[in-house]
Parts: sequence; structure tokens; C-alpha cells
Amino acid sequence: MTHTSIALAEELAGIVGERFVRTRPTELLTFAADGLPTHRAVPACVVFPGSASEVSAVLARLHARGTPFVARGAGTGLSGGALAEAPAVLVTLTRMGRILAVDAPNRRAVVEPGVVNATLAREAARVGLHYAPDPSSQSACTIGGNVAENAGGPHCLKYGVTTNHILALEVVRADGERVHLGSASGEPWGPDLAGLFVGSEGTFGVATAITVRLVPVPPTVRTILADFTALRAAGEAVSRIIAEGIVPAALEMMDRSAIGIVESSVYAAGYPTDAAAVLLVECDGREGAVAADIARAEAICREAGAGTVRAARTAAERERLWQGRKKAFGAMGRISADLLVQDATVPRSALPDVLERVAEIGRRHALRVTNVFHAGDGNLHPNLSFDAADPDELARVAVASREIMEVCVAAGGTITGEHGVGVDKKKYMDLVFGPDDLALMDAVRGAFDPSGLANPGKVIPDGAARPWGPWSPA
Amino acid sequence: MTAAFAGLDACVHCGFCLPACPTYEATLDESDSPRGRIVLMRALERGEAPADDDALSWHLDRCLGCRACESVCPSGVSYGPAIEEARARIVAVRPNPPAVTAGLWVLARPARQRLAWWASRLARATGIPAALARGAGDKAPLLLQMFAMLAATTPSRRRTGTPTHRSRGRERPDRHAPGGTEATAAPAPDTTAALFRGCVMDGLFGHVHDATIRALGVNGVRAVEVRRQVCCGALAAHGGRPDLARTLARENVLAFDAAAPGVPIVTNSAGCGAALKAYGEWLADDPLAERAHAFAARVRDVSEVLVERGLVRPGRLPLRVAYDAPCHLHHAQRVTTQPLDILAAIPGLELVPLEGADRCCGSAGLYSLVEPELSRDVLAPKLRAIAVSGADVVATGNPGCLMQIGAGALLAGMEVEVRHPVELLDLAYRQ
Repeated sequence: MTHTSIALAEELAGIVGERFVRTRPTELLTFAADGLPTHRAVPACVVFPGSASEVSAVLARLHARGTPFVARGAGTGLSGGALAEAPAVLVTLTRMGRILAVDAPNRRAVVEPGVVNATLAREAARVGLHYAPDPSSQSACTIGGNVAENAGGPHCLKYGVTTNHILALEVVRADGERVHLGSASGEPWGPDLAGLFVGSEGTFGVATAITVRLVPVPPTVRTILADFTALRAAGEAVSRIIAEGIVPAALEMMDRSAIGIVESSVYAAGYPTDAAAVLLVECDGREGAVAADIARAEAICREAGAGTVRAARTAAERERLWQGRKKAFGAMGRISADLLVQDATVPRSALPDVLERVAEIGRRHALRVTNVFHAGDGNLHPNLSFDAADPDELARVAVASREIMEVCVAAGGTITGEHGVGVDKKKYMDLVFGPDDLALMDAVRGAFDPSGLANPGKVIPDGAARPWGPWSPA
Repeated sequence: MTAAFAGLDACVHCGFCLPACPTYEATLDESDSPRGRIVLMRALERGEAPADDDALSWHLDRCLGCRACESVCPSGVSYGPAIEEARARIVAVRPNPPAVTAGLWVLARPARQRLAWWASRLARATGIPAALARGAGDKAPLLLQMFAMLAATTPSRRRTGTPTHRSRGRERPDRHAPGGTEATAAPAPDTTAALFRGCVMDGLFGHVHDATIRALGVNGVRAVEVRRQVCCGALAAHGGRPDLARTLARENVLAFDAAAPGVPIVTNSAGCGAALKAYGEWLADDPLAERAHAFAARVRDVSEVLVERGLVRPGRLPLRVAYDAPCHLHHAQRVTTQPLDILAAIPGLELVPLEGADRCCGSAGLYSLVEPELSRDVLAPKLRAIAVSGADVVATGNPGCLMQIGAGALLAGMEVEVRHPVELLDLAYRQ
């Protein structure tokens, strides 16, 4: 460790206490990756502030030294967004895990960034409410990370993604200043600044108090599982359900590979392993409307060629179906040591074609592709399995990933649905954004963080943004 | 155990194990999480971190070995054998603290333990350790904590008027009549099972062995005593001494094959059960490998044996009971429903839910003595959940858990009693 970093660690220990600074090289290794371990970076040190004022003091100190930093929650992100490369310091927010208030009559809660998504859901349930965004990693991921990535989840189809559930934010800027965005009772001033912050991937500052919207637990929930003998047929069923104007609470697809993997895990849910694909359709709301929607969705599935359609009879059975779906990503280690999960969206009408193109890309590059995704949102997650020790296979993964992105963009989609850009998607930004678009993004970022110290090197490709400034005559 | 690290290959770094880990819950530091420890173990395997690295051993030693991460891992990462392998590599270059080395030495031979257990039971019988520890608080000095643990092994005084067996463990195993003398309507035994006695179980929980023998008897299983059996080796394996663990395993295989060939082996200790069931892997490269596999396949937790047979209906026991699942039963052996089935079969017994019943209590073998601070932090939510449950009795089938929760409750001045499920079943049979 250099003298500068020893001095820095001592200064940070002066703020948070010695127990909450990590500097030993071996410990730093455990923070070198998030949920996408194909990217790695070792931070200069890790600091665990315990309160908003400690975050503020830490960032002010780093700012004074010109040291960059990266905020990290549980490290379940899937785009390498929470990686810090020395001299950057990793600001880990797991200690800030308090639920500050649950305001049941006004259906909102105030939480610290380190609160785990599932913990908030559980606490809300105690008062008959519900935090709707439910990323598959919700048992582990934190609300702070959800805000940074504008996280989605199966039930965001009906309820909207994270940004639709964030009312107000207390944010510590890169210079340590605390600002308040949005308000619990409506936007206090013109533009939606809280909305602007959500999805900024840690490049605007650190959210230290988050006011979220809670929704009532729906009186009726019904879930069906339909199996198909062809992936295309399942894709067509999705397109038709959406085209009919049905808004399911969730509409998810898993292909044969995903089914097999889940069924060999502790989360086996009884999915039919001989199916080419299954659709998981859930509707919620008032009894009559739900019954009608589910009946219609079931009929559409059958018309599209579904074999059996099975309904969850109990809450426990429904939970099992969902656990299988949500843990599928984590179960991918059963088929290979290394994994790259892609994240792209396409118009739902394009799903059947795009799924076939993705399968074709996998075949052409001799890669196993596993699909488990938010079909109702048109949010694809092709998982590419590979062995990182095989350089040829690694190269094929890179080419196939780009081809998949190109297919999605060509179909009218875009390069990320919910995982963010981080470091992994930077290379695809040019598929959807020109230099002027990127320049605007860079300028907005600069408005929040003129120093550029917050999560440097993420989202915007290096050198791609045209310098932002007064319009010059062309 | 060289293949142990290969069991980590399935980890895709998803992080779904983080919330299951009691030490991560206590410290919220990735290095104290299963995923972080897997990174450390991989670094050790690849030589990126030397085995004598301070940070490496600090975080790996703080692992409870509860294996709750394995129960939630979608990819089926085999964490337990890897952490034992890592410990072995660390201990090879950085020996255990003298107290641990001495403890493992004592437990390795029954003869070395007799005096210690005798003295402990004598001290326990005076009631002085319990009196000193009661309400002393969780920050009490280590000696008081140990007194509390000893006091937690005291046989139940419920059901006054009927003398409970005051077991002196191994000194008089043959005096246990098959079926138990007080057992109601004991049928003629139609099968036998060899009782695994263990070290701590036999030294301080003779009354649980007695209850086990009686409850098995009521259900038509005659318990066979096996002489020359030794400690299962679990503590040695967790303590980075696979050599010692394998020596003990070999002795047990030979002893049980000699005295009770082909007979099911029944244990009432979750920790021992998990170890005994792993003998096949422990002795995979040993001349005894085949016999070790066969031995492991015969091992059953007492709750498995009883539920498989279909329980003879017990008498009434009007108690509010919370079940706390020992990690080495629930996560390591995946025996999850049988102890609950037993408790549910007792008329009058009200089974109350215990939040976090599948989470470690912080006992973890010698952990509570080696890492007292973190052990206490892990225990704290357990004690809070017990208080909330309103239970009269916490039932748990492992000596370490009985002592840890019992001691914690005693130090906190809580009124709750901590018992092995089989003790409650036995009590119900004797009503």
C-alpha cells in the first residue's frame, strides 16, 4: 500500500472508526466483483459509513483529496457498475440498513440505502402494503442499488420499475453536500429531479435516505403456468396477451435450458422439463377482473399451442413457482463455471422473431444460451454459458453478445432493460446513442457532479461524448 | 479432501447466499459472507493469498460452518468441504490456539475425557455455576459464559416424583433396559439400532441418551451399545485437523462394524450426524473407503428413525414449544421436517413459530469459545426471537445448540428451558 493510501485510510477511519475501513489486499479481493464477475477491479480501500453524515464526511474528504469513489450495496448488480479501481475508494452502504419510517396511511416508507429489497417488502406486508419492484435478486439486493440501476423485476410489468416508486431522495453529492430531490407529497418544483437521479448508476452521488411508494396488497392473485413445445409459440402467446390489452401483474418466460437448470436445484418448482418453454402468467386485483383476465390469458396460451396450463392452487405453490423463476440466474453455475447474462429489450410484437435470432446466434457460435426473462416487458435475458479459461470461447461470447444486442436494436429495442450500463454495456452505447446524446448525458452528470469523482469510467464510453457547450455554428 | 475446492466451481457470484449468512448479518462485510469467503478460498487455492495471510484466516475463521448458504444456493455450491479444506491448509502453517489444540487432544480419546466430564457433572450438580451465571448478562467474563454452558446441560427437573435417569454416560450403558423401564406399553423390539454416543453428548448429555434409548424402545427399536467407539471427529474437521478427524472416523468404522455389523447407526447429535454421514468422503482415499461409505449410509438422526417407523402415540405434554433447527441437521443433513413431526405428534404440545429457526445460534462447535464476540452477535437475534415466540421450551437436537441457547438464556435471565426434542418425546411417553 502506498503512503497516500495509508494516510487516506487513516483519515477515513477517523470518520467511521477503524473497524469500518478495510485495506488489507486479501480483503479487498472480496470487493473486486459484483454479480457479473467477468469484470474485476480492486479498490484502494473499502469504507463502511454508518450514517448519512458519515457518508457526507467521507465524500467531502475524498473530494478534498481528488480521490474517486464508487458506492456499493450488496454487490448483486449485473453490469459491473459497483466496481472501483484503485485509487478509487469503495463506499459500501450495507451498514445503513435501517427502515426509518413506514407511513401506512399515506402508503410510503423511508429507508436507508442498505435496506434489502425483500426486507422492505416484508416490513410493508406487516401493514398490508407492498413494495412492488421485485428484482430476482430481491432476497439480497439493496434499495440503494435498486435506485442506482432503476431496477425492474417480474411485477414491474403492471406496477412500473423502481423510478415509479421513488418519491423523494436525500442525496450526498460527490463534494459531500446534502441535497433533497422530490418530495413525499409530490414534486415541489418543475422537473422530476428524483426521477433524474434514479438510474444514474452511482454517477450523480449517493442516496442516503429513500422515500418509496407502497401499494396495497391486491385482494386476489392468480398464477398459471403454461407449457409450450416451441419457443416461438410461447413468444407469440406473449405478444397476443399484450396486444389484447391484458395487463398481467407479471408475465415471464423460461426456456428448456432454464427449466432443466432450476429443476435440478433446491428451487425445483415442478416445471415440466420436457417443455420447450413455459410462461408464468400472474394477474392480481379484484376477484372478477382477475378471473376474467386469467381465463383469457389461458385461452390465448392454448390457442398459441400451449400443452398443459396449470394454476397455482395455494399461496405456497405460487411462491414455489416464483422462487424457481427468481433463482434461475443463480442456478446457472450448474452448467458452467462462467456466465454472462445479457439484458436487452425489444417491442413485444418482435419477441418470437428475436428469440429465434438469438437461438441462431448461439448455435452459430457454439454457445449454450439460456433464456429466462420478463417476457411481458419484452425484456430479454439471454444467459451465455462458457469457460473463461478457454480464450476462443471467450472471444465467441463477446462476438455473440454484440450480435444479440444488434438484433435487439434492429428490432426496435435497446441495450438494457434493467441491469444498467455499468462497464459491461459501455461498448454497446454506440448502437443507440450518437455523440450529441452522449454529450447531453455527460452534461447532466456534470451538473450533479462537476468533479467527475462519482463512479468514474461507467456508463458513458470514454471519449465518445462530444464536448458539451454553447452551440457552435456547424 | 483435495477435491474440496472443486465444489466451489459452480459459484456464479450471484450473492443470493448473503442474506442466509449469520456472520454477514452481524458484520455486513462481504468478506464475512459465503460469496466473499469463496473468493478468499479461490485465492488460497490459486496461491494469490498465502495460507498464513492474516486477513484470509481472520475471515475464514469467522465462518460458523453452519452451511446455511448451501441450503439457499441455486447452483448447489458445496461450501462445507471447501471451508474444512481451507482450515486445514491454514492450520498447517498457523497452528490452532493452544486451548483448541488441547481440547481436540482431550476429545480424541475417551479415557482423556472421563475426569473432565466427571468434574463437570459434579460442578453442575452443585448448582453453583447456574447460580453464578443467571442474569450475568451477555458481556459476562468467559468463565461465567462457560459456567452458563455447563449449567445448560443440566437434566430436566420436570415431572417431580419420578426420578429421571442420572446418567453417568459411558460408565453404565448396559444398565439401560431395552425399551426403558418407565416406557408405557413398550412393545417387544422388532429391530435394533446402534447408538452413537459421541464425546460431549456422552459426557454431559447422558440424560438425552437415556431418553433416546427409551423413546426408541417405545417404538420397538432396541438400542445396541457399541464399545470402543470414539468422538465423531467433527470438531477436528472444523478445526483444521482432517488427519485427526480421519483417525477417529477409521476407529468408529471398525468399532461399529465389529459390534453391530450392518445395523443402522442412530445419533441424537446433529453435528455428529453430519460428520458420520460424511465418512465416505473423509475416507475416500483410505483402504477403509468402501466400509466408510457403507457406514455413512447407515447413519440416521434419531428423528429420522422415529418418523420412518411411525410414532407410537405419546402422552399429553401441555407445553409451548419452539423448535430451533440445528444447522448440521437442517442444512448439512437436510433433515428438516422430522423433528417437527415428532413435536407435532405430542398431544397438548403447542408448537409456536420461531422466526429464524433455520439460522445458526452461534454455537458452531468450539466457535463460541474461540470467537466469543461474533458468536454473541449471532446469538442475539435468536434470543430475541425466542422471547417473542413466548415458548416455555426451545427444542433443538444438538449439544452445541443446547448449550449455546441454554447459556444465552441463562445469562439473559430468561425463563425458557432448552431441551432435545427426544427428551420431550420421552417425557410425553412417561406421562
